[in-house]
Amino acid sequence: MYTWVEHTAELELSIQADSEKEVLADALQALAELLDPDRRPRPTETREVAVSAGDGAALLAAWLEELVFLAESEGFVGRELSSCALRGERLETRVAGHLGRPRPVVKAVTYHRLCFEREGDGFAARVVLDV
Amino acid sequence: MSEWPLERVDAELWEIPAGAMAGMRVPARVFADEDLLAAIERDRSLDQLVNVATLPGIVEAALAMPDIHQGYGFPVGGVAATAAPDGVVSPGGVGYDINCGVRLLALPLTFAELGERRERLVHEISRRVPVGTGGRGAREGLRGAQLEEVLVGGPRALHERLEIGTERDLRLTESGGRLEGADPAQVSARACERGAGQIGTLGSGNHFLELQRVERIVDGDAARTFGLREGQLTVLIHSGSRGLGHQVCTDYVRRMDASLRRYGIELPDRQLSCAPLGSPEGRAYLGAMAAAANFAWANRAALAHRVREAIRAVLGAEVARDTLQVYDVAHNVAKLEEHGGRTVCVHRKGATRAFPPGSPAIPAEYREAGQPVFIPGSMGTASYVLAGRAGSMDRSFGSACHGAGRRLSRTAVRREVDGGELRRRLERSGVAVRAASARGLAEEAPEAYKDVDRVVEVVERAGIAARVARLRPIGVVKG
Repeated sequence: MYTWVEHTAELELSIQADSEKEVLADALQALAELLDPDRRPRPTETREVAVSAGDGAALLAAWLEELVFLAESEGFVGRELSSCALRGERLETRVAGHLGRPRPVVKAVTYHRLCFEREGDGFAARVVLDV
Repeated sequence: MSEWPLERVDAELWEIPAGAMAGMRVPARVFADEDLLAAIERDRSLDQLVNVATLPGIVEAALAMPDIHQGYGFPVGGVAATAAPDGVVSPGGVGYDINCGVRLLALPLTFAELGERRERLVHEISRRVPVGTGGRGAREGLRGAQLEEVLVGGPRALHERLEIGTERDLRLTESGGRLEGADPAQVSARACERGAGQIGTLGSGNHFLELQRVERIVDGDAARTFGLREGQLTVLIHSGSRGLGHQVCTDYVRRMDASLRRYGIELPDRQLSCAPLGSPEGRAYLGAMAAAANFAWANRAALAHRVREAIRAVLGAEVARDTLQVYDVAHNVAKLEEHGGRTVCVHRKGATRAFPPGSPAIPAEYREAGQPVFIPGSMGTASYVLAGRAGSMDRSFGSACHGAGRRLSRTAVRREVDGGELRRRLERSGVAVRAASARGLAEEAPEAYKDVDRVVEVVERAGIAARVARLRPIGVVKG
């Protein structure tokens, strides 16, 4: 489950989920809501999105950066996490989505108050997007 | 709600002592009056300012201008100086939109003389200026060697290669539109890819292009020096380094985050990631940041060129030719400057350089008046032209505010304001609107911002900069 937390200038995304994969799936949904809020077409495209980083939170940020770049450069809006392998400092995913004219809203994924960690029986994440 | 111990230093300055949080190396100081301070305390601005006060090598104080609001890492409206050579440079202290800034053009025409052509002029400007994040439609798309020339030379490269802008424009741009030490080799291939097609594009979010009239002259002498008179038309351009700058910041926040341990740096927030100015990471960032800053100045030069083309189409070649640049200022940048007899790296994150009269960094024709400072308010209120004053050097490392400052989040303002209704309201009040989306328009509604008159009054009373003219919007193009 994801929620948008009040932030004066930017957008703060908060996620709580049962597994790391669900956190990523929720983050994908949240980003799609921002990029293409009015449409939910059936996925017609897939992209392999793989990133490396020193820890889980940095992996989440790097993965979202790749998705923002795909939206900006190709008009690709990811909707579904088809596959996901998270091993140490490497995250490999396949993302299904559609091509369109995504809203040019997200400039960057920041490290401000960034987290992706175990919380109770599940996982929690927080990302602030520069908009 | 912030609960930091704020001590009043004087009528416009408040201080959180250096002992308020473990790790603070200097106090945190805020320029504000009581009402602005109350608004500032409602979000995380002061938490962020206190965090900035922990940066290695920071000197004197972490400073906040009266338009301060919550950002990421640094607050927006933040100023921090670190001492060379051991102090750090923090990419987050400059921000993703490196050298986001404003450029003011003055037309040789009054609002009355424009008459019925206002709507047509705003439409023509919106037709010629691509908006949004992407670069589709950018005619001055640059590749390879051309892009490298811009990264090193800034708008001069566009002037020499494509006859964009004038020598006068270059002279009346902060730092001449070119930071020394730009190193394209430190700019990643992805940053170049993102930026190459975006030169001459406005962008989204709070970027805008505004047609204005000079509503009131406050300082006649300075206004004459800047070429401004009552009733005159002006165009204010607010944009930055686009995807290129965003990627440079992304690349170096990540790189410095990974090198913190090597330099023994502990921070309260990863977005403050930094490296010593003299380290390989610090030097590489300064080279890449300078290149992105030069790109941003070139972008605003290309935008000004498009505005002049629109003016030519609607008002004629003579009016376009005599549309003169007043000045161009950066408000997201880090610069090595001399303050208090030493070299410091001044980070301005949503803050404007505001050098006083006599500064050799100011173009000769403005040196007696002080450096022009532009403070956009909101599309429904007003903007200001100010001139830097001596207090800026004594109190704020030669810096002033950069705008009114947000007071409401985007979601909060969307709950209060409907984009379509806002457009009608602005039109009724005499502001022609061209916006990429009603949602984006609503997010930048006047209600989202603090009272620009009050913000500017604090800056003036603090002796940082003085009012020269108040500008009122009559047309706005929003990304």
